[in-house]
Amino acid sequence: MSELVKNEAAQNMVTLTIDDHTMSVPEGTLVVDAARSIGLDIPVFCYHPKMEPVGMCRMCLVEIGTPMRDRTTSEPILEDDGSPKIQFFPNLMTGCTFRASEGMVVRGYTEKVTAARKEVLEFLLTSHPLDCPTCDKGGECPLQNLTMQFGDGESRFIYDEKMHSAKHVALGDLIFLDRERCIQCARCTRFQDEIVDDQVIGFSNRGRALEIVTFSDPGFDSYWSGNTTDICPVGALTTADFRFGARPWEMNASASICNHCAVGCNLTFNTRREVKSGGEKIIKRVMPRQNEAVNEIWICDKGRFAYHFTASDQRLNQPLIRKDGKLVPSSWELALDLVTSRFKNAGENLVTLAGGRLSNEDLFNLAELSAHLGGDALLYSDMAGGDLVSRLGVGEGTNFSDMGPETAILVVACNLEEEAPLWWLRIKQAAERGAKVIVANPRKTKLDRSAIHNLRYEYGQEAGLVTALLSAISPKQPKSPAFVNKLAKDKEVKAAAKALSEAENTVILFGSEGTSYAASAALAQACANLLIASGHIGRPNNGLIGVWDKGNAQGAWDMGLRPSEDLDAALKTSQAVYISAADPAGDSKQYASALKKADFVVVQELYMTATAELADVVLPAQAFTEREGTYTSGERRVQRFYPAVPSLPDLLPDFGITAEIAGRLGLELEKTAPASVMLQIAEVVPDYAELTYQKLAKVEKQFPLIGREDVYYGGTSYQNSQGLGVQLKPAAQNGDSPVLVITELPEVKLSGEELLAVPVTRLLDLGNTVTPSEVLVTRLAKPHVALHPQDAEKLGVEWGSKVKLILNGSTQTVLVEFDNSMPHGVVLVPRSLGIPIISPTPATIKVL
Amino acid sequence: MTALQDKHEKEIKHILAKYPTDEKRSAVMPLLYIAQRKAGYVTKQDMLEIAELLSISTTEVASIVGFYTLYHDKSGGKYRIQVCNDLPCALRGSGQFLEELCENLGVQVGETSSDGILSVEAVMCLAACDKAPMFQVQSHSDISYHENQTVESALQTIEKWRAEETDK
Ligand code: SF4
Ligand code: SF4
Ligand code: FES
Ligand code: FES
Repeated sequence: MSELVKNEAAQNMVTLTIDDHTMSVPEGTLVVDAARSIGLDIPVFCYHPKMEPVGMCRMCLVEIGTPMRDRTTSEPILEDDGSPKIQFFPNLMTGCTFRASEGMVVRGYTEKVTAARKEVLEFLLTSHPLDCPTCDKGGECPLQNLTMQFGDGESRFIYDEKMHSAKHVALGDLIFLDRERCIQCARCTRFQDEIVDDQVIGFSNRGRALEIVTFSDPGFDSYWSGNTTDICPVGALTTADFRFGARPWEMNASASICNHCAVGCNLTFNTRREVKSGGEKIIKRVMPRQNEAVNEIWICDKGRFAYHFTASDQRLNQPLIRKDGKLVPSSWELALDLVTSRFKNAGENLVTLAGGRLSNEDLFNLAELSAHLGGDALLYSDMAGGDLVSRLGVGEGTNFSDMGPETAILVVACNLEEEAPLWWLRIKQAAERGAKVIVANPRKTKLDRSAIHNLRYEYGQEAGLVTALLSAISPKQPKSPAFVNKLAKDKEVKAAAKALSEAENTVILFGSEGTSYAASAALAQACANLLIASGHIGRPNNGLIGVWDKGNAQGAWDMGLRPSEDLDAALKTSQAVYISAADPAGDSKQYASALKKADFVVVQELYMTATAELADVVLPAQAFTEREGTYTSGERRVQRFYPAVPSLPDLLPDFGITAEIAGRLGLELEKTAPASVMLQIAEVVPDYAELTYQKLAKVEKQFPLIGREDVYYGGTSYQNSQGLGVQLKPAAQNGDSPVLVITELPEVKLSGEELLAVPVTRLLDLGNTVTPSEVLVTRLAKPHVALHPQDAEKLGVEWGSKVKLILNGSTQTVLVEFDNSMPHGVVLVPRSLGIPIISPTPATIKVL
Repeated sequence: MTALQDKHEKEIKHILAKYPTDEKRSAVMPLLYIAQRKAGYVTKQDMLEIAELLSISTTEVASIVGFYTLYHDKSGGKYRIQVCNDLPCALRGSGQFLEELCENLGVQVGETSSDGILSVEAVMCLAACDKAPMFQVQSHSDISYHENQTVESALQTIEKWRAEETDK
């Protein structure tokens, strides 16, 4: 496989010849991959370079020969001219299942091979509807392309005997199946099975009657469903979002980065001008863009479908100023002048609060402005530890794909598939290569299936658990609370500690399952201690990763913003608040009332959020699809995104608005070119010193070589031609030697009848950037909580029933789900479902 | 959600005991037999239950039911008469045999008689080509072959089953 090609140094190499090209590849490389690695094409349908070969479609038939040997002496038999005599197999062989060996000769363009290709295609087309003119795949369809290249113009089969099947089968709310078009390659079912471990689609029946079915509830219940439409070699699988939306050749492609989570998947936006949109260019679909160090060629369904917020008709398009209690339209001049004078008055009492979906350039300018006035620049987040990640983050050159038996990976306080789907996928695959995955979480998560140790603890004990791991490997720790000592004696904990300390490489990912800001700080520090004590820092594939709640939270930490330990107080005591890309009032009534008390509130946003409703001035900003910028992922890879569509008229990017305000306050900041902001960042932020936009745009050859010209090999994922980004060196890789810091572990106390409500994360939540995507609406989580079934029984609550949840002074009706893996006495409250929860909090449940 | 388990608890336990706990999925075939015996076909509810018992997805169970021709996911007659009309049998007149049998029984291919006792299906090679026309019958938990048939001999056998069923 292609990964083998990448690690040539470590492998036994063999030399083979394919169509007169001689090449060296690692022994065991599949013939199709060997050919592809030098740009030669052996057409395939069922084979996909990311999956095991199955040899089902016969499209890859080639002639294969191996050097002859004398049976008695084992000496090679030579031709008259001294070259080795090659014996060809009497039949054609499938190149996707045959592995390269020394001296092998492959012929891909003989008459015999071409005839076979013609026949296979003719056979596939006997049941194919040939509705290319109305098929979404037309134009990027392997079957169409290969038929044009090798097929016959005419079929010998009787047209009337074509098999007819259902054409618009909704496998779920996101994916449609056209049963007639399916060529039964099983790429989709194998992807769901082998790659993402959600066996929710399968084959039923056989022969010509074979069809894809789903029996999950809801149908095709997987966060990964969209990827099947990329790798389906025909137009059988289409997304509800894009089907009948545009022809592939009408669209432009522009490179971008997903900012929904800390992974930073590389995307391509396909855009087109449309009459429907008044001749404007709009985004038609989101496709993955290959970055083998980040997302390979996959993206999750949130990244694929939750992009409509950027083009929502709710977007703000002019500044608003509060007059007589109402927000009314204003000119930019007026609004900016007002903001400037109030900020000037506020001086060091200006509080800047920024969300982690802003770009580095935006955050940098915000931080500079704030520093100029002496105010506080706050990151709106309940997670701590970004400073530790910049010191002890994973070393430059880290790539989950390189991890195997020598690596241990600890994932703590995290439901990884919900918080950062692609990392779940890549760690699952690392586990399949032998990496030792350890999951520590109070309840079961999907990553448990890949783990060699599943460690359970009570909510609130996450830092304690990690400290217990530390004491298990280096017993001379200062006195710990009793529960830590108890955990440290646990057999499973001890075994996990051993695996972590003995591994050559160790990576720790910490998430936000059930943590408050204080708990997150203690957890991050405990993880850092463990890495320092076991010597797993400052090298590639070693270090700390924050599974941040927002795409560019790490960038915000790097630009110097910090979450506030007491945001409520910070807001209340400010003289002016400058909020960008954050909606505290929408998340919590407490923050809303604090904002009401604040003297002057400026909100820079895309739409009218609950926070914007409370503002004195609202400044509309460009969406990230309308401008350039960079994000820094949780693995500290800085990546560029590019404009996909024109900006709404008269809008500026966030960093531009901030620069306008700064300019009026006598501080010169770059307002037009984000590349220039990056140059300033490079001057001020040491870790970014080497970065330029040019460097971020560099690409190199990636394996597998997927390509748009021969979509049959890797699917329709885009090649990366606009930048693989640059992974930063953490301080530890630059010679910084950190020491253990022992923090006090937070404890949570409960009284009497109360349950402990803990915040958890759901991928498809009801966040501001998710709900505008109508296609996702039915897939989004409803306001609900989860209970242990026994607790539910005690309360007299049934699965799916409605209850009253009283917490943080508010009462709300929510649905109840069960989770029999969670601890007793706890109620799980997903974030961003409209239930106000910021940290673990006592709660009461009343039956309706 | 545990109808199948409740009804066949012992038998299911016995079957599961034969497989290592991390390879429970291998028990899917025998559990499907049990389910099919109950109603002559596997209901969606049965599939859900079996999936849960074996910790696999319902879709996987359904795929297996869909793959094997002797598992059914729709109700049919108590006796499923499966006439082979693949090429070798067709050369020995199985086409006409099937047609006349249906005419006599008053049932279309792929359908079930109004009394719910019979259904007639056309199937692929059953490996008795030399004894065509032939059919296979799937009833209760049995399968039997009936070879070298004529329409008369087939009707006779079938009438006997019918009588047995109506006597019950
Ligand atoms: S739906 Fe597409 S990917 Fe799935 S089996 Fe059919 S052709 Fe292959
Ligand atoms: S895994 Fe994260 S970054 Fe990647 S597509 Fe999904 S939400 Fe976006
Ligand atoms: S058989 Fe080789 S690609 Fe399908
Ligand atoms: S063809 Fe009918 S049994 Fe073989």
